[in-house]
Amino acid sequence: MSGYKAMIVDDSAFSRTMIAESLREIGCEVVGEADCIESLVEIYAQCKPDFVTMDLILPGADGFECSTALRLYDQNAKIILISSMKDQQTEAEARRVGIVGYIQKPLDPELLLGIINNIMSPDTLYLQILDRGVELFKESLAQNFTRMTKSPVTFASAGMNNQQFTSLGISAIIGIIGSYSGSMFLDLSTATAEKCVSALLNRPPKDRDETLAMVAELANIVAGVACSMLNKQDKAYGLRVAPPTVFSSNSSAKLASPSLDLHSYLVETDFGTIFFGIGFKKGTTLWM
Amino acid sequence: MDVKLINPILAAFFEIIPQIGFESIEKTNLSLVGSSIDYSGVLINIGMHGTIKGVILIGMSLDSAKCFASKMMMGMEIDTFDYIAQSAIAEMGNMVCANTCTQFTNMGIDDVDISPPTVLISDLGTANLPVNQTIMVSFIVDGIDVNIYVGLM
Repeated sequence: MSGYKAMIVDDSAFSRTMIAESLREIGCEVVGEADCIESLVEIYAQCKPDFVTMDLILPGADGFECSTALRLYDQNAKIILISSMKDQQTEAEARRVGIVGYIQKPLDPELLLGIINNIMSPDTLYLQILDRGVELFKESLAQNFTRMTKSPVTFASAGMNNQQFTSLGISAIIGIIGSYSGSMFLDLSTATAEKCVSALLNRPPKDRDETLAMVAELANIVAGVACSMLNKQDKAYGLRVAPPTVFSSNSSAKLASPSLDLHSYLVETDFGTIFFGIGFKKGTTLWM
Repeated sequence: MDVKLINPILAAFFEIIPQIGFESIEKTNLSLVGSSIDYSGVLINIGMHGTIKGVILIGMSLDSAKCFASKMMMGMEIDTFDYIAQSAIAEMGNMVCANTCTQFTNMGIDDVDISPPTVLISDLGTANLPVNQTIMVSFIVDGIDVNIYVGLM
C-alpha cells in the first residue's frame, strides 16, 4: 500500500471514478480532481498532491498542454499520463513535456503501483550519475588538459549552486543528452586561454578565433571522453554530446542554468584559473 | 544550413508562445548571419543532438526579458532579472526547443533531443556557434522583440 496523495485530471466523470477506484485499491488517497486546464493549477495548488494522473484527450487544452501548464507552476510536479493510446510519438512528446510515467487504459492497478513507487522513490541511476559522473568529468579534464598542455591541474570545490556565476571572459557550454541531460561549463579568462594555446601550439595564437576554437575543442574533448567513460560503465546512461557554443564578453557576463544543480570547481593550472561546472537534470521516467 | 530546418522551429514558436500567455506573434525578419553573433542582454542557449545537431539561441534585451518573464508569470512585477525570472525565460526556451523536436518527429526525424537551457546575461557579448552559418529569425511578441538564432547541421 502506497499512502501517496493523488490528483486526477480527466474530463470524464466515469473515468475519474474508475481511476480513483484503482488508486484507492493500491492505497493512494485521491485529494483532488480537475476536468480541464482552467481549474487545473488552482486545484493542484490547493490539494498539493504527491503526483497527478493526466488524461491525454481533454476538451480545449490536451494532456500535454495541461502538463506544460502544471510544470510551469511547479517544475517538480510528477505527472503520470493515462491514455488508451500508446505510440512512439505520444511517448516522445510526453517525455519532452516532462511527464514521468505513462500507463495505458484500462488500468492495471499493480502496474500503476509500480510506476508510483518508482517515481516516488530515490532515482538510483540519477544518484549514480551524480556520484560517478562529476568525478569522471573532473578526471577527463585533468587527463586531457595535462596530456594536451603537459602541465598539471588541481581542483578546489567552488560549491554546489544552481544560481548564476560570473564568467572570467570566455565560456564554452556543452549540452549533454541522454537518459539524464545536463550541461558542462568551461570558463576561463582570455589571458589564460591564450597561454593554453601557446602551450599547445608552441606559439602565440594567430587571432582571437584560434583562441576561441581551442576553448571549444578542449571542452568538446573533455565532455566527449567523460561521456564515453560513463557509457562504458553503464549503457543505460546513453550520453551524447551536443556541439559546443563559446561565449565571450569584455564586461562580466553572467551564466545561469536554472534547471540544474551545478557542481562547480576552480581548477588551478600553470596558465591561470579555470572555472569548471557540471550538472545533470533529474528525469525519472517509467513507461508501462 | 538547410533552411527546411527553420519551419519546425517557427511552428514550435507559434504553438508554444500562445500557451504561455502571449496573444500576438509577428515574424518580422529572417536573415542569414555568420557563426559569430554579438548580443546585448539575455541569450538562452539550448544544445541539440541527433540526426540534426547544433544549437538554438533565443535572445532579447534585458528589459525585454524582464517584460517577457513578467508576462509569463501573470504580470508579476519584475525589477531585477533574478532566479525566478531566469527560470521562466529558460523554461520558455526549453518548451520551444522541445516542441521543435516534436515537429522534427512529424518530419520523420525522431532522434533529436535537447540539453537543459543555459541563460547568459551580458551588456556586450559574442556567441560563437558550432556552425558556419546561422539563421536569425526576428519576432515581435506582444510588443517584445525576440530573436531566435538557429545553428543546426
